[in-house]
Order: sequence, then C-alpha cells, then structure tokens
Amino acid sequence: MMQSPTPNELMGKLGITLERAQDLFAALTEESRSLSAAQGDSANAAGDSDASERDREELTVRLVEAEHQLGRLMNLYVATFQLHATLDPGEVQATIAEIAVDLLGAERFALLLRVEGTNECEVALSRGLEGDEDGYYASDKYRGGDPIVDASLQDGVLRMGPAEGSDIVAAVPLRVQDAIVGVLVLIKLFDHKTILRAEDRDLLDLLAAHAASALFAARVYSNTDRKLRTLESLVQLVRST
Amino acid sequence: MQPRKILVVDDSKLIHKMFEVLLRQFTLVHAHDGLEALQCLSNHADIDLILLDINMPRMSGLEFLKQVKGDTAFQDVPVVIISTEGKEEDTIRGLEAGAAAYIKKPFGNQELLEVIQRL
Repeated sequence: MMQSPTPNELMGKLGITLERAQDLFAALTEESRSLSAAQGDSANAAGDSDASERDREELTVRLVEAEHQLGRLMNLYVATFQLHATLDPGEVQATIAEIAVDLLGAERFALLLRVEGTNECEVALSRGLEGDEDGYYASDKYRGGDPIVDASLQDGVLRMGPAEGSDIVAAVPLRVQDAIVGVLVLIKLFDHKTILRAEDRDLLDLLAAHAASALFAARVYSNTDRKLRTLESLVQLVRST
Repeated sequence: MQPRKILVVDDSKLIHKMFEVLLRQFTLVHAHDGLEALQCLSNHADIDLILLDINMPRMSGLEFLKQVKGDTAFQDVPVVIISTEGKEEDTIRGLEAGAAAYIKKPFGNQELLEVIQRL
C-alpha cells in the first residue's frame, strides 16, 4: 500500500514545483524579449507592424498574468511553510502577525481565540490597538458587539467588511476540524494598501484553514512537553531520595 | 552589474523565507536587526546590496543606514528600504538618509526584482 506523503514532504515538493515555475517564467520572459526583438525587425522589414504589435501586446498581457499567478503561489507557499515550521506557540502567533502585516498590509488587527469551555474570546495577539481602552478589544478580551465578528464566530464564514455597524476589513474564522476556535479580525489596512485583492483572499482562506491548526498543534506539543519535563523531574527526584 | 550577495535585514522570519524563495539566484546573508547586520557586514566584506526593514528591535533600520553610510568601506553599497512605513515623509526620510530605493510592504515580487535589476 502506498504511504501518504508527510506534510514536510509535501512542502518540499511544493517548493520544488515553485522553483520550476520560477525557472519557466524566467525562460518565458527571456524568450518573449528575444521574440519581440525578432518580430520588431521582421515587421519593420515586411511593413506589417500592426499584427506584430498585437502579438507583442498579447504576449505581454500573458506574461503579466503568469507573473501575477507566480506571486500568488509564492505568497501561499511561504505563508504555509512558516505557519507549520515551528511547534512554538509564540512563533506561530508571530507568523500569523507577519502574514497579517507583511503580506496582507494590516495596520490594525486582533487575533481572537475562544477561552476553553466558555463563549468568551481573549485577544491573543493584536497590533495597533494600544489606545483601544473603550472599544471592542479592551483589557485583552473581545466584548462582543461587532456584527461581522460575531457572525463569523457564530457560523464560521469568512466575511469582508465594512458593513452596517462595522468598519472592519475582514473577519477570518479559525477552524480546527469542525470547531470555530477564534477569529482573525483585520481592522484597518495601511493607507498605502487601499483594498484587499483577489490574491489576498487566497491568503485569508489559507489562514482560515491553517492558522488555527498550526497554533493548536503547537499548544498541544508545548503542554505535552511541559508535562513530560515535570514527570522527568519527579522521576529524578524519586531516584535521588 | 547584478548584485550577487545580498544582506537581508528584517525581524520577520516570513520575509526572510520570502526572499529565500524569490531571490534564490543570489547569495543571501540574513540578519534580524541593525546590530546583527553590522556584525554581518564585518564578516562579509563582499556584500553587493542591502535590503533593509525600518522597525526592528535593538537597532532600527535608519540607525543602521546612518552607520553604513558613515563607513567608508560600505558607504557605496546600495541600500533598499522595505518597510510598512508608507507615508511620504517616511520615504523622504529614508532616501535622504542614503537609501537607493524605498519599497512599501506589502510589495509585489516583480517590483522588488525590478529595483534590484536597476541597481
């Protein structure tokens, strides 16, 4: 029976595929330049510059599209790789923050996680909320009341804002299996990043699918590791007495 | 001439990984703040280009840039600032401090490659 590849093997294969795509894109760009130059020469000679110009324009459009797709794939690969690159909960949270800031352009955001056994959400991580003493996220707890965030926490659907009663940019529900364990709230983008684009939506979907599982795997590992160390200390203590 | 060895200075591990993938045709040297970057420069005298973040612990990008531009051994190495600080005055401050270009995060891969090619 064939064994399924491990996540590390899959990431390795994805990385290799991405490298091949980069090489192909570079070769295609070079080919296009040579072709453009050759077409320019022959068109001038034949006096058929209109058809040649149209071909060149089409090629340029396709190259831009290919470059765009490659950029999207690269962002997704890097984000996934980094989310699963560590079993330290702090580092996973830092990666979520880096994706929000460096890839999505969030100036203000909050990572809300449900407190186990309750309906409350703690603010596990935030940026740009330092002065938010009276807002939804005061005292490191989400008070509830933002309609988009509340709805996403309720039904686990990724929502884009703004909407009536809410100025946020997006609420990304975080799922582990069927449970909604929290929401990443993008509250405001940088002024130089005016809107979320289609490729950003891919990243939001990726966060919804991977951020929570990476975070919870790291937490489980961290708790187990701590318990193991405690047990080891106890065993050592018993042996020495 | 295309740069061959690039010093990446950023406190974001995600950005380091991004550059590893995007700039794999170059040799990269990694630093996570200005102080570590200064150490890297003393160990790698053949750095051709520096990609620099602004907000970092221990020593900021602008402080690092000031030191680089004040050092005769490295003052001619082009520095590209890549930062989330996107206001006009931030760009002016960076360029006045000696940066060759200023790119705002999030950036497009092609945008960065074009700047590197130009330098």
